[in-house]
Amino acid sequence: MASEELDRNFSQLKVTKDSSDCNGNNSILEQETVNSDVQITCFTEDLHDVTFHFQIIRLAKQIYVWIGCKTAKFGHLYAAAITRPNNTVAVTSILGGTSDNTGSGIARRLVLKTGLNIIVACNIPKDSPMLEATAERKLIEKLRSLGYTRQA
Amino acid sequence: MDVTQPIRFPVTQKAVSLDIKGNKTEIVISKYDDRFLVIVTQIGCMGTILHARKEESVSTDPTYNVSVVFGKRDEPWLLACGRQLIEHISCSDSSRHLVLSLGLKDHSPGTLKDIALAVINNRLW
Repeated sequence: MASEELDRNFSQLKVTKDSSDCNGNNSILEQETVNSDVQITCFTEDLHDVTFHFQIIRLAKQIYVWIGCKTAKFGHLYAAAITRPNNTVAVTSILGGTSDNTGSGIARRLVLKTGLNIIVACNIPKDSPMLEATAERKLIEKLRSLGYTRQA
Repeated sequence: MDVTQPIRFPVTQKAVSLDIKGNKTEIVISKYDDRFLVIVTQIGCMGTILHARKEESVSTDPTYNVSVVFGKRDEPWLLACGRQLIEHISCSDSSRHLVLSLGLKDHSPGTLKDIALAVINNRLW
């Protein structure tokens, strides 16, 4: 009978406390590959109806981040590091991005938060400061939870 | 009753750790929509970054353009390694560009040959 099947299925239903599973807006898939020197974290988030993909590769002295906005195109590549003698940050565009610089601000602020050299690849379209800010906020939140940021 | 389907992460990647001429080497290969990214590091950071691409024209054989975009510009073997990999990618019928980062302790030809071989053995193309 259908009701018996329903009872059986309900008893097997697992209740999860994980808010990401309950919330219909975010479909998050996380992968982590951990090796002593290389840690890779990948996840996808829907933020304001836009799908962002994040790939974070942590090396011993550097962090590489790729931010994909809707697609998995590589985008523009930037490098940023702390310069001596003042603790200012220098950013440079390595591939593409000469005219729109979307992502260079992210690279700069990541260096300030982590104190490490940062390489950022990002395909967020230009003239979208909202998307850039949203992605950056999520990324910083994730870096903090992974323990890659330094204490202020 | 599964309501949400998890989205598969769109970037395929592979990470291996091996020993090359006595140095512990980490290799991470990622496949994006329009690029391959290969990170090879022995020193804990990405080191020198190269960009390699195939330029195809209608009438002549394809040519390859390999250039250092960040880091050491005076190590010819790094360019040779990039050239070997982009040609391998191209022979596997892929027209994606290659971003190759080499953070190495030694730049001898033997090391770079081993690295190229290791990347080809773990390729995603």
